[in-house]
Amino acid sequence: MRLSMEKKRDKTVTKQVYFQGAFKMLRPHYLDNSGQACYFLINPGGGYVDGDRYRMEITLEEQAELILTTQSATKVYRTPHTPVLQENEIILKKGSVLEYIPDPLIAYRDAKYKQNTIIRMERGATLFYSDILTPGWSPDGEWFRYDLLQLKNEIYLDEKLIMFDHLKLQPDEAGVDGIGYMEGYTHLGSMIVMSEQVNEDVLQRLYSVIGKDLDECKAGLSLLIEGGFTLRILAHSTQKIEELMAACSSFLRKEWYDRDPVALRKY
Amino acid sequence: MDNYLLSLFQLCDSNLPTGAFSHSFGLETYIQENKVHDKDSFSEWLRMYVTGQLVYTDGLACRLAFEALERNDAEEIWTLDRKITVQALPRETREGTYKIGERMLTIGNDLYPAPLLSLYKEKTANGEAFGHPAIVFTMIAHQLNVPENVILSTYLYSTILGLTQNAVRGIPLGQTAGQFILRDIQQSITKAVEQIRIMDIADFGAVAPGLEISQMKHERVHIRIFMS
Repeated sequence: MRLSMEKKRDKTVTKQVYFQGAFKMLRPHYLDNSGQACYFLINPGGGYVDGDRYRMEITLEEQAELILTTQSATKVYRTPHTPVLQENEIILKKGSVLEYIPDPLIAYRDAKYKQNTIIRMERGATLFYSDILTPGWSPDGEWFRYDLLQLKNEIYLDEKLIMFDHLKLQPDEAGVDGIGYMEGYTHLGSMIVMSEQVNEDVLQRLYSVIGKDLDECKAGLSLLIEGGFTLRILAHSTQKIEELMAACSSFLRKEWYDRDPVALRKY
Repeated sequence: MDNYLLSLFQLCDSNLPTGAFSHSFGLETYIQENKVHDKDSFSEWLRMYVTGQLVYTDGLACRLAFEALERNDAEEIWTLDRKITVQALPRETREGTYKIGERMLTIGNDLYPAPLLSLYKEKTANGEAFGHPAIVFTMIAHQLNVPENVILSTYLYSTILGLTQNAVRGIPLGQTAGQFILRDIQQSITKAVEQIRIMDIADFGAVAPGLEISQMKHERVHIRIFMS
């Protein structure tokens, strides 16, 4: 799947869109009068199975603004042989804004999934990027045990590597519920925010925004070497993670752009 | 006796003034939350720290640095220095690590001077590199002709020694309990070295998420004796 967006007058419009195979996209929406476009990705019908490979390339030209989301959760089923491989490349030119807010990834019994994301930004671009990893749930109320979820993110700012994030979860390995690993939680959320406006003061204020909602989860925020921060959350539900991430992004949207929270009406 | 042995004792000694005694790398968060409170809970934490964090980061970095040094590939060293530094998302852990790295570079340059060490130091001084203790240690040991598996096990040991001494002060534990922990962890170190030597380099930088979040949360721990 390939998508590039550009800014024409006050509006972000599609410069090029191309998809083949299982990926599909709906026509762009405009959720408010800011000119920011919103695309919905439609996941492969039944979900990912053995040996599936997908590639997504997103380019935002200067000043282009896009919200990219999915229509529903990404499901990974049994993959006995070759892990599903998802590769993403995101290019953000100066002044562009990308908010990538996918639904959770649900990994069912024996699922193996690898994702490699490379983000190349120019100084002055802004990124909100999130991932939620969850185990599938069986009708008898047990959490499924997936085999492997391995996600890597590399972010380059003006061609210099400024963040490398590598999560590798293998629930069958001994001790994964224990101290240091999942610590009894089942769901893991990560959010990365890159912007020249991020600093320690912004982080302090975000902590006061989410500080009162940190029961039933374990969450941490920290600054990157420059121009961004990460938020990592362990919790028992997708909803909890989504609430905390939405609280952060709503606060920053208001603060930086005087915009309302993103309201994605999917259901 | 191998003539590098005494030099290694010196480099692994917790008296080497690197500043490692002021960093707990997230342990203090667990102590404050009362999740680590005695010998057994600290031993469990320490084994996790070795098998869930050190092997994929510092341990693999030692091996990759060693391989790069064997090939005379300095560029690979600078790439590794950046990658392992930006891989640490919790700010205090990242900054603590490169401060220790810088101190170790200074000491290394004074005690065991070599052109590459001095170039590394120069790069950290002008902002082209960060300085990572695993890389600095490997560089010094490599020029002393220490074999790879010995570098790996002694580097892991020196890191564990520092953390254990910090735990003895921070939890607190008795000195003898600390010594038992250092004896018992030796098995885990041996296994870790074997694992690092055959590890797929695609596993570089994998994190233990609970530990990482605790390292981030340490920024908000109010009463503390450690900087990370």
